[in-house]
Amino acid sequence: MTSQIVVDKKYRNRQKIKDRYISLFIGVFALLWIFPILWTLWSSFRPYSEIRARGTFSVPERFGIFNYQSAISRMELPTYLYNSFIITVPAVFFTLFFGSLIAFVVSRYSFKFNVAMLLLFTAGNLLPGQLVFIPVFKLYLQLGDLVGNRRFLYDSHWGVILIHVAFQMGFATFVLSSYMKTIPKEISESAMVDGASVWRHYWSVILPLLRPPLASLAVLMTTWIYNDFFWALVLMSTDKKRPITSGLGRLTGEFVTDYNLLAAGAMIAAVPTLIVFLVLRRQFVSGLTLGSTKG
Amino acid sequence: MTTPDKLLSRRSVLKGSAAGALGIAAVGGLAACSSDSDGASGGAAVTGPIAFGARTVDEQPTLQLRALVDAYSAKTGNEVTYNATESNAFQNNLSQYLQGTPDDTFQWMAGYRMQFFAEQGLLVDLSDVWAEIGDQYDESYKIASTGLDGKQYFVPQSWYPWGMHFRKSMFADLGLDADSVTTWDEFLSMLDGMKSKGLIGFAAGDKGGWEAMGTFDIINARTNGYQFHVDLLAGREEWTDDRVLQVFKNWEQLLPYMNTNVLDLEWDGATQLLLQKKAGTVLMGSWFAGDFKAQSDEDYFDLSIIPFPEINPEHGRDTIDAPIDGFCVAANGGNNAGGIDLIKFAGDMEGVQAMLDTGVPMTSANRGQDTSTYDAFQKEQLAVMAEAQYITQFLDRDTRPDFAGPVVGPAIQSWFRNPNDVNKILESLQAQWEALPPLS
Amino acid sequence: MSTTATNNKQVSRRRAFSKRDKITLGFFVGIPTALHLALVWIPAIATIGLSFTYWTGIQYSNIRWAGLGNYKNIFFSTPAFYDALQNNVIWLLWFFLIASPLGVLLAYQIDRQIRGHKFYQSAYYMPVVLSLAVTGIIWNFMLRPDGFINGLLGRDIDNAVSFFGNYDINIYVIMVIASWRHIGYIMLLYLAGLKAIDSSLREAAAIDGATEWETFRKIIFPTMKPVNIIIVVITMIESLRAFDIVYIIYGTSAGLPILGILVFQNIAGEGASMKGAAYAVILFVLSIGPIIAYLAQQFKEDVK
Repeated sequence: MTSQIVVDKKYRNRQKIKDRYISLFIGVFALLWIFPILWTLWSSFRPYSEIRARGTFSVPERFGIFNYQSAISRMELPTYLYNSFIITVPAVFFTLFFGSLIAFVVSRYSFKFNVAMLLLFTAGNLLPGQLVFIPVFKLYLQLGDLVGNRRFLYDSHWGVILIHVAFQMGFATFVLSSYMKTIPKEISESAMVDGASVWRHYWSVILPLLRPPLASLAVLMTTWIYNDFFWALVLMSTDKKRPITSGLGRLTGEFVTDYNLLAAGAMIAAVPTLIVFLVLRRQFVSGLTLGSTKG
Repeated sequence: MTTPDKLLSRRSVLKGSAAGALGIAAVGGLAACSSDSDGASGGAAVTGPIAFGARTVDEQPTLQLRALVDAYSAKTGNEVTYNATESNAFQNNLSQYLQGTPDDTFQWMAGYRMQFFAEQGLLVDLSDVWAEIGDQYDESYKIASTGLDGKQYFVPQSWYPWGMHFRKSMFADLGLDADSVTTWDEFLSMLDGMKSKGLIGFAAGDKGGWEAMGTFDIINARTNGYQFHVDLLAGREEWTDDRVLQVFKNWEQLLPYMNTNVLDLEWDGATQLLLQKKAGTVLMGSWFAGDFKAQSDEDYFDLSIIPFPEINPEHGRDTIDAPIDGFCVAANGGNNAGGIDLIKFAGDMEGVQAMLDTGVPMTSANRGQDTSTYDAFQKEQLAVMAEAQYITQFLDRDTRPDFAGPVVGPAIQSWFRNPNDVNKILESLQAQWEALPPLS
Repeated sequence: MSTTATNNKQVSRRRAFSKRDKITLGFFVGIPTALHLALVWIPAIATIGLSFTYWTGIQYSNIRWAGLGNYKNIFFSTPAFYDALQNNVIWLLWFFLIASPLGVLLAYQIDRQIRGHKFYQSAYYMPVVLSLAVTGIIWNFMLRPDGFINGLLGRDIDNAVSFFGNYDINIYVIMVIASWRHIGYIMLLYLAGLKAIDSSLREAAAIDGATEWETFRKIIFPTMKPVNIIIVVITMIESLRAFDIVYIIYGTSAGLPILGILVFQNIAGEGASMKGAAYAVILFVLSIGPIIAYLAQQFKEDVK
């Protein structure tokens, strides 16, 4: 027995040394990884004229938040951020809501169409957006004409919200239904024995249990939808309504020579997702159940 | 110096642009929405709000456009909303934009690009506007503003020539006289001299895929003449013709004097090289002069332009790319009458003057611009134009858009990477032209 | 997937649904499905149909039947298509052989809670959180002719290394930028799967004296089969669908042809034609393999 322990200890020590190297290696790369972001941040505090005159690596003379002030006033960033907000929040909400509805039905009840539904939504999530955009564009205009307001869906925030929901529902459905598999069927059975309606079953029994995956999905979806720029680009024509990611594209063209100002704009655009990420770090991983493999 | 009228009338702008020569006739049975809007000129009072769409977010042009829009609002009391989009995004989205919820008046370009959308019924007929302000413009502008059905759909704003830009101070330092660089050989020996001083003789950027089309246009016109150029773009001549090969052979002679990172720089990178005095000349449209002026007055006054040198004495320097930018009114806009009113103002000397008053250099298409107030650089642009007998609009405005951007642009870029592949590239160009879907 | 005993059996006895319940279920299923069909599947089918026509996308009266015309054009008359395919293949191979494995290994080490793992997890994932517009700006900053790297190399704007324009290296430059995001993404997905592994598996392996590498190779990796398949599929799909990064840096010019750009170039803008729809269909068909593999893996238990 003692020799076993000795062998174990020697192995563990060797592993510990290896681990230190591994950690060092990964650590160095981690710093390199975030370096580009840090460099952009650093540059955002310096004026472009100084860089032009004195070089990229010059010691800063002027250093401050003037680029940010300039960015906010000249780039209409508050408008874009607001647009991002009013697109992202409803989109995430409806994605999660609808996703949970479908996941609920296919997980807690056995209908013949369950598998087909899951297939439909999961495959739909994987289709490239460019495959559908011309018909969607035409559809939005037709519906707008039908209703008498061309801006009903095209060039409107709701149009962008709806397309996001339509595409992202599949992922939410998938994650939620696979999580729901871990909820014991007894809970549902006793609810039904108690005579609960479908709605009560969903709202009062199942939904409260879905906090972990909903939280982590909320975090993921917020990032994805906030970061999208394709849909807002092609389904909106009024620049002032666009979210910040599409708006940044415009700014790249406008301030093409003042990179430092652009850097400030980019940092401002990155702030919401960075905050969500840093504050809700745990949720990113915890609620995602991609497969439970209990031996 | 001869008066502006005489200068301008010596040109002959291709009737209805090269694309008209493409033989694209108006298709019968088209749902024609290009009729006059309701309540056009002379009817009920026009009210706002009117939406104006700008195709640029650059600082200098924006100053001009905002001045125009403000002047209109001040005069009529109609509210105008200003909607600006970055130019690449605007162009990529134009089809959707015009079908959906466009602004009433928007900035666009002359040439087939305009005629195509007019043909699809997406632009408002402006013939009435031309009836009112047409006398302020030379006949050639009216021709350039005409759609394939004979009606006008465009009001010009400004034009600019594509020419060899250089800095007077640098030429002086090198002991060069701009007037004596008129032939190809003189040009090459000038480039030699620049290279020996460590300068980039001929700066260029083609990251955007379209910039180098200007070089192609001019070398083709110089080598093979205006008619061949027009015919080539219309598909009546073949890219595999020896004459096109000669164009690339001539261009190849310039490669040793160019910057090595052509595909990494866009147009503004190339002009930056001139601004920083690292390059001797750059072939570009004169619109970028505003950037020089923004840098410093001294830089702007140092800027000068001469026509691209003659290659073939038979053709001399008789052709020039001089794209015309201007405005259109969108048929699907919410306020057609307002759009027409605004465009009339923009085309009228009153609007032009509002733009000129901003101090941003602009060469207006309008006769009323007092060319005697042109600064030296603008006069030089005029002189460059005056020498030309034929005007083209630039390759991506003169030929089919599904050929120019997706096919010719990449072809030229791949030539930059591998000039020796020229034969393969030309064969591929011809094959892709022949494979284009028929225009419906 | 899960092998917990009861998960496959839903409510054992089907009780009769009240009318109200039926209506509720109808809404629960109907509304999301209608939205999904209307904005995803029906337009997708429409685009597939349109790929067999000649049309500029504007007036319906201009739609003309083309048969395989657009496809013939793409396969026989468009060299850019083959350039794009080649680039997509390079993208795929890079992601498959380099980026994804790195993500997986990273996840494993972080899951083992080596020193600093909390910081590493955040650091590697941060690029994923940034929008592509921001990513484009950041890397433009780094690699422009007058950017950071060229500054480090001491090169000026006129003799700068042409990271984006030099055709020999630009695909790899883009690969680095794409990997910058992809590795963190894969790391996260794998971490999520690793957390679900029973720790008793690892303890058993430790007792048996297995090294870390052996533990990973022989025990963890095989157990992660479902997640492995997800990773493979996502890797393939991301490399085929790639668009955003290239668009941010090159616009629609042909600086780096890939399928996603070809679709956009031909379907948007003035030269729009249904050739773009044909490209989209080709992209779809190429992705379908991974999609089906993914779905088969996910649902093979349910189908049983």
